[in-house]
Amino acid sequence: MADKSKIGLEFAPYTFEVEKGKIAEFAMAIYQKENKDQISPLYTNREAAQNAGFKDIIAPPTFQTCFALWASGGLMPLIQALNINLIRLLHGEEEYSYLGAIHPGDIMTGKSKVVDMYDKEKKDKPGKFMEFTVIETEIRNQRGELIIKSRSTLVER
Amino acid sequence: MAKEIYFEDINIGDAMPTFTSDPLTRTHLVRYAGASGDFNPLHHDETFVTMFGMPRVIAHGMLIMGITSRAITEWIDNKCLKNFKVRFSGMTEPADLSDIENTKARATITVTGNVVKKFAEGGENRIQCDIQAVDALGGVKLTGSFIAALPSK
Repeated sequence: MADKSKIGLEFAPYTFEVEKGKIAEFAMAIYQKENKDQISPLYTNREAAQNAGFKDIIAPPTFQTCFALWASGGLMPLIQALNINLIRLLHGEEEYSYLGAIHPGDIMTGKSKVVDMYDKEKKDKPGKFMEFTVIETEIRNQRGELIIKSRSTLVER
Repeated sequence: MAKEIYFEDINIGDAMPTFTSDPLTRTHLVRYAGASGDFNPLHHDETFVTMFGMPRVIAHGMLIMGITSRAITEWIDNKCLKNFKVRFSGMTEPADLSDIENTKARATITVTGNVVKKFAEGGENRIQCDIQAVDALGGVKLTGSFIAALPSK
């Protein structure tokens, strides 16, 4: 059963400095491309981004997923803090609210908190439970501006 | 890059343009692992997954969400996107290069969506579009929605 004492647990803030090359690398990965010329120029070309109304190159909508993974040593610290069994772990849901853009040179800080934990009985296996952990994160830039709010639901099957 | 779309031009029920990915390969998964920092061996190491009875590695759910985000931003401008959420419902296995013709369907992701709501919020004209990502065999990978604030004429 989910360890409900972990509700309210706050993780140490993590900081990630956004590099132009990392944005391009991430965008190429979601575009399944090997060349920067094959993806949206908003992710690689300052002039194109400025023509679209941004002050600089922007990051793709799911880019912030790499902040915690790269800044705080991957998945394992989170998994260990929550006593999650890696083999049973599934990503259930992911939600982002966008309040501003992310640009190269920005220094992003994420603060995550466990906001809910609950169990659901498996439909096909009465007496067996899936365990859900909901984590909310606020990501701010170096000026303290709230840029992304995220909500992740992890499932132990 | 998307063309400018105006709030007045969108009606409830309108479909977003259908987007179809390239068949996902293990190389795409490795590229995404490096880009994102998600090195869970479930996504690249077959000697790991076979210990747990799985026949092959599976794609990162967040890669499928990323592909879905591309589908969205090829229709609406990045700056219009206010909220994007998904529920992951099925795993995606990559195509086998040794048998690409018979395995590419399970690894080819199509994203579709329909506008379900038009509303005003925060002084903006917004739309909600429900979306899904499905493989070429009909397997649903994720369902979700996004909210966009659109300019008016």
